[in-house]
Amino acid sequence: MKSAYLIEMTIFRDYARQLIALGILVSACIGLGMQTPLAMPATLTCMFFMMSAMGLAAYDQLNHWELFRLTLPLSRKDIVLGRYAAIVTFGLIGMVVGVVVALVIMTVVATIGLPGEVGEAFAWEADMPGVMSVVTCFTLLIGAVVSSVVTPIYFRLGQTRATQILPTIIVLLFVIPVVILGNSGMLDGGIPGMELLSGALEALDTPMGMVVGCVILVALSAVALCISAAISLKLYEKREL
Amino acid sequence: MHAMAPDIETTDDLLIEAHGLTKHYDGFSLQGVDLAVAEGEVVGFIGQNGAGKSTTIRALLGLFPTDGGTSQVLGCESSALSRTEGARVKEEIGVVFDAISFPEHLKIADIGRIYARAYTNWDARRFARIAKDLGLDAKKTVKSLSRGMGMKLSLACALSHNARLLILDEATAGLDPMARDEILDQLRDFVAEPGHAILMSSHITSDLERIADRIVCIDNGRIVFDLPKDVITDEMGIARCRVADLEKIANTGIIPDAELRYLRHDYGIDVLVPDRFAFAENFPEIAVDRMTIDDYMTLTLKGGAR
Repeated sequence: MKSAYLIEMTIFRDYARQLIALGILVSACIGLGMQTPLAMPATLTCMFFMMSAMGLAAYDQLNHWELFRLTLPLSRKDIVLGRYAAIVTFGLIGMVVGVVVALVIMTVVATIGLPGEVGEAFAWEADMPGVMSVVTCFTLLIGAVVSSVVTPIYFRLGQTRATQILPTIIVLLFVIPVVILGNSGMLDGGIPGMELLSGALEALDTPMGMVVGCVILVALSAVALCISAAISLKLYEKREL
Repeated sequence: MHAMAPDIETTDDLLIEAHGLTKHYDGFSLQGVDLAVAEGEVVGFIGQNGAGKSTTIRALLGLFPTDGGTSQVLGCESSALSRTEGARVKEEIGVVFDAISFPEHLKIADIGRIYARAYTNWDARRFARIAKDLGLDAKKTVKSLSRGMGMKLSLACALSHNARLLILDEATAGLDPMARDEILDQLRDFVAEPGHAILMSSHITSDLERIADRIVCIDNGRIVFDLPKDVITDEMGIARCRVADLEKIANTGIIPDAELRYLRHDYGIDVLVPDRFAFAENFPEIAVDRMTIDDYMTLTLKGGAR
């Protein structure tokens, strides 16, 4: 698996560098536009998870690399696990870069004493690290779930065919349920356990709640990726290349 | 057919061994392919486009499940090559496909890194030397390489991880004659080492005449002949006859009816002669040329039989 992982990292390295530059720019714009530094690590974390899952799948089909790769001393299992390890690595790189960039911008804003709403929004506050951690971990979960959904489909169908049906799958899985829930009024108290969820969200305001929240979000991300990897292993084992 | 694939016996010397390999697709099937490559051999694998050469090679490499038959490469079931228990066997197999197979944004130096990560026996110095000999600049990207240079890169990789077996699918396609000479020299050196062998599919049969020990031809998913190359090129001949000569040759019985194959032209008829020296003694008035692999394949696949 280590070989497959390192190969993935080599292949994605140049694109990742471009992605970091682009991500910093995009996240800075979003952060300034939304007037909160929280948006920066959130954007980069989510972006890196999704882009690495999609980008690595795109490289598979260049010059039939996917086929040739199996002539190297790698098993299909190595390839699947190497892919997930690479996605997680790039996702975490995005998270770290996002946090660092947000802290740098906040420091710069504080140092130069930027006036106005932007200056206020980017001012250092004591609870900022905790809130930033929770928000970033939440986007880690979003990125991990999206990667977990798309990666098995890429492994089963290949990037070209998967790209044709992924928009439909994304709409079915992520958009329609939200629309149905929103229009049904269930979010206003109709769903069993909503009170528990509200209580959990309130608990996130406490330091201990934030720590527990972050652990739960990271754990859920790991579970999603593990389930997805298990599905990918099954699907890729039977794939005819 | 003149020479059906001989029965393949299981021996320790065989680096590739396939029995009754079968795979069905819509409109095409591999039909009971038998193939063997022994230590020290260069086996030329020929056939028309779409005959099943690449499919056979991919089946041997375990890139898809087959519908029947068995195959082993370096003693490992092909189906296990992509599994954890068989993946390490591929350390000793060098593979080149008919087109460059690396993501195009990578530099040649990156390809070296990828191989170094994949193969424990990767010889970076050898790769650098071969790449230099073949005119490959480490800073160039795959996308900037011509087809010929891309094939050189693939061959340089296959020759740089101490493989025992090379499986080359149209690996010399796109190479200029001088580059082909260099590569054929490298392949000769490779197979001269103990325990090594090459399976090489090619449409450039002149390359196979220079390097192959045995020629295996596939047509429409079936092996149609499997013969030592010298039998084709040194013993066989092609008689340039008039139409009337065909009956005369047939009536003498010098060529068994089952082996008598011919190809009509506007200007006469070409007849496959299993032993051109014996034929020349019996029919001194009929010109007999040396048989080439192309001639033999054409007569076998397209020629008429009595």
